[in-house]
Amino acid sequence: MAVWNSLLFPCLCAFGGCLGFCFLFNVHGPNMLLCALGGTLGWMAYLLCAPLVHSDIIQSFLAALVISVWSEVMARLRKCPVTTYLLLALFPLVPGGGIYYTMEHAMAGETQAFLDSLLHTLGLAGALAVGVLMVASVARLFTAWRQRRR
Amino acid sequence: MPLDYDKLMALSAELGYRLMESGAEIYRVEESMQLLLHAYGVTFGEVFAIPNCIIVTLTAPDGRPVTQIRRVPAHGTNLDQVERLNDLCRRLCRGTPPLDEAAALLEETLRRPRSYSLPVQLFAYFLGCGSFVLFFGGSWRDGLCGGVCGTILGLCLTGMNRLRTNAFFKTIAGALISALIAVLLVGLRLGAHQDRIIIGTLMVLVPGIAFTNAMRDVMAGDMVAGISKITEALFIGAAIALGTALALGLARMLGGG
Repeated sequence: MAVWNSLLFPCLCAFGGCLGFCFLFNVHGPNMLLCALGGTLGWMAYLLCAPLVHSDIIQSFLAALVISVWSEVMARLRKCPVTTYLLLALFPLVPGGGIYYTMEHAMAGETQAFLDSLLHTLGLAGALAVGVLMVASVARLFTAWRQRRR
Repeated sequence: MPLDYDKLMALSAELGYRLMESGAEIYRVEESMQLLLHAYGVTFGEVFAIPNCIIVTLTAPDGRPVTQIRRVPAHGTNLDQVERLNDLCRRLCRGTPPLDEAAALLEETLRRPRSYSLPVQLFAYFLGCGSFVLFFGGSWRDGLCGGVCGTILGLCLTGMNRLRTNAFFKTIAGALISALIAVLLVGLRLGAHQDRIIIGTLMVLVPGIAFTNAMRDVMAGDMVAGISKITEALFIGAAIALGTALALGLARMLGGG
């Protein structure tokens, strides 16, 4: 039951959320399932590495790595643009809560808390960006290396 | 028969325009157009794209330069179209069919858009927003409330898209309406956690797409495109905060709290 509450249920929700958003960005067929699975895997990575790193920014970074690798592999297997998988699978990691709480602190006039959560939100977004960038750069290197060998 | 450079130009510009319109990254647009020109044997071609403009120029064998500029209006994201155009570009580059045939293929790809009907989309809003409310720790009833907010948000967004409202205003209005409904549902004791319902619903508006694409552009070296998209993402984030703040402020005024 503990595993269900702390790991499986959030992952299931991430799956449902990503699947719903697949319709909104006009993704069809088996790709929908693959996108949603990417989101689920990413969130699982986020939760599983929590006891190791104790920082949600680093957790986000690791999860973004997992999602990017998954997207690059799927894109090559199915000959589809990487963007499709990446955009949808990253949704659970996007700091929507950060934006909301930042706004709430701003409204309440709590300047210190506002700045804290603003910087934290930007940090989360930056962690996602760096994770995506790293995998994409390595994938480019790999492609270039293979082309040169040919 | 010599190659008709005007037609090749038109084909490549149209491909780029359509890719951009469906929300592809800048480097994909530039690379696809460049590959297409190369496949048809043009070595003196340059393509330059920024988020709302494409410039393509090539030199015909008689030394005559041919240039086209396409301005890309504000657009949404249609990943299915990116996928199919990408596939088409691959096929054109491999087979290099005669240009008329290639243009017909492109037209046919665009003529059969696969999209979901409005009821399916509204269901998707319900499913997506509801799941994200649960994801952020809401109860089952919060999830249902989030689904309802999401569906109404979806209706508003669809209506505003038909009226071609600009993105900034659309986000403020969407956030305002969905947050107001969330406050109302919590006020009626149907949902328990107002913040979680609002956050889950706002996931639809969050500029994750713009941000991720911007990062990929920066990595590909398209700084101008990357920076303009990051700015867009920041503006949209601010618009979300503004819309929600307006809703909460209104609710507080009316609630007398």
